[in-house]
Amino acid sequence: MVSYENKAILEERGIKESDVEEVIASGTKIKNGASDVLSKKRIGDVTYYAMANGDVVKTAYSHKMSVGAVVNVQSDSDWVCLKCNEAAKEGTADVEYMGVSRSGPAIVCPKCGDAWVEEYLATKTVAVAEGLFEAKRA
Amino acid sequence: MQLIAFRVFNHRHYGTKLRGNNDKDYIGSLKFENTGITMGYEELFPPANMAWSGHAAKRFGSPFVDVFTDRIDVDPIILSHAAVATGYTIRDFYEKPELGIHCVSYISEMYDLLPVTHWFFSLPWVTELGLTLEYKETLPPISTGPIISEPEEVDKLEVASMSDLRKGWTYPMYKRIYDYVGANLAQTLVPISYGFDLVGAPGELCGVENLIMWTFTDPDVVDKLIDVYVDTSVNGAKCMAEDFGFAMLIVGSVLANNDIFDDASVEKFSAKKMRDYVNKSFRGGAGPQLFYHFCGNHETSYKVFKDNLVWSPLTVTHIGYSGQNVFPSDVLRQEFENVTTCMGSVDTKLMINPNPVKVYEQSKEQLLKGRDSKKGYILGSSCECPPYTIPGCMHAMVKAAQDYGTYGTW
Ligand SMILES: [Zn+2]
Repeated sequence: MVSYENKAILEERGIKESDVEEVIASGTKIKNGASDVLSKKRIGDVTYYAMANGDVVKTAYSHKMSVGAVVNVQSDSDWVCLKCNEAAKEGTADVEYMGVSRSGPAIVCPKCGDAWVEEYLATKTVAVAEGLFEAKRA
Repeated sequence: MQLIAFRVFNHRHYGTKLRGNNDKDYIGSLKFENTGITMGYEELFPPANMAWSGHAAKRFGSPFVDVFTDRIDVDPIILSHAAVATGYTIRDFYEKPELGIHCVSYISEMYDLLPVTHWFFSLPWVTELGLTLEYKETLPPISTGPIISEPEEVDKLEVASMSDLRKGWTYPMYKRIYDYVGANLAQTLVPISYGFDLVGAPGELCGVENLIMWTFTDPDVVDKLIDVYVDTSVNGAKCMAEDFGFAMLIVGSVLANNDIFDDASVEKFSAKKMRDYVNKSFRGGAGPQLFYHFCGNHETSYKVFKDNLVWSPLTVTHIGYSGQNVFPSDVLRQEFENVTTCMGSVDTKLMINPNPVKVYEQSKEQLLKGRDSKKGYILGSSCECPPYTIPGCMHAMVKAAQDYGTYGTW
């Protein structure tokens, strides 16, 4: 069972507890120096993230665009891919939304090619970009 | 009007003030001598053509959202040319930014360019770091110092905080400009924060010769100097994001080009700092639009950027020259099309040559090389369009885009 450091943020961001639990149970994971584990899973048309330390969920967020292949690997990050036990890097990944393919900054694992979007990007940069796509494609 | 600024070291905040010499000095309005009449700049222009604006906005969105409207956009870097083309002076453009940006909007419609407005000169945030700027008749504001002449002095230089910037000169001016645009030209509003030249602007703080010399003798000092400028610019972007909800970022590698630096130095002092600037600005809520401008000669240094810069879903990348020639759009495309919309260049020297067909031919060549870029293509100019750009030359760029850049015709 998990507990929440800030449950209000789930409602604010329209995320269900069951989604968070599913992401933690079966998402792909990276871990940082402070032992925070960031889990990611695509459920339906949304990619959900949950960051937990032990059993405590610190935050959860989501984005609608889908993240595809790694485009390039850039600088060191504070994260390790738990599947590969390999240092994850800051880099660039393909992203797709409403049929439009572009690039976006991501934490990438050079070994398995998975990519994670950090909270500040998902909740600000990516959210604004998604809004612009929606307006322009409408 | 003269801008007075002074540097105070030792944990002090830098004061900046504008000094008006007489009652002809205004911000945000014109006063006609001897009449007592003061009017807002918006009263000098006919109303914008909203139908054009709507169409141009759709066209502008084409390369970003893959809904292709009309033709490839033409986006030459127009600054004081806008004022000159509307009957004002180069100095007016810089000294009266609201007038300047309204001129940009007005002539963008006239030339059928972009529906967004911009106003800019190359030294944002330096007054807050101690420089004094002076308006000139035929140039953008220039620095009159005082410069940091000893490497040891750099240690005492401090990042201007967000609250310093709000009390300074650069940010309140931009706030005023975008408030004016919001009130009078709302359809063109894209708040832009400039990191601009992260090597060139710090170079002004210590003198460009010192900066270049110190890259060899005291590279750590140059590093620190650039970092102070970067972090100050980041705070500027954060102020804008806080006030407007988002902030497009424009950042360049201008002084750091192959005429002055080798590729390793362009990477170390420019590309990596640009990454840092964008990363920190995004963390502060700025973005998502990014415009990367590599001005000057990037014959081989263009290769250091792809693996260093941050690529958001809404990024445009522009390169001026390769050696003496405009940077070829096929090379631009090959290097960058996987991560960004590409902006090709027409040589700005041609814009004052009374030979529009030369502009047309070069525009055509660049369009043919660049128009199939995966994430879209925009036709730009290698650098700022000269103030006295020939309107017929500007039209030649647009005509080439009509002839060789109309979507669905190639
Ligand atoms: Zn992995």
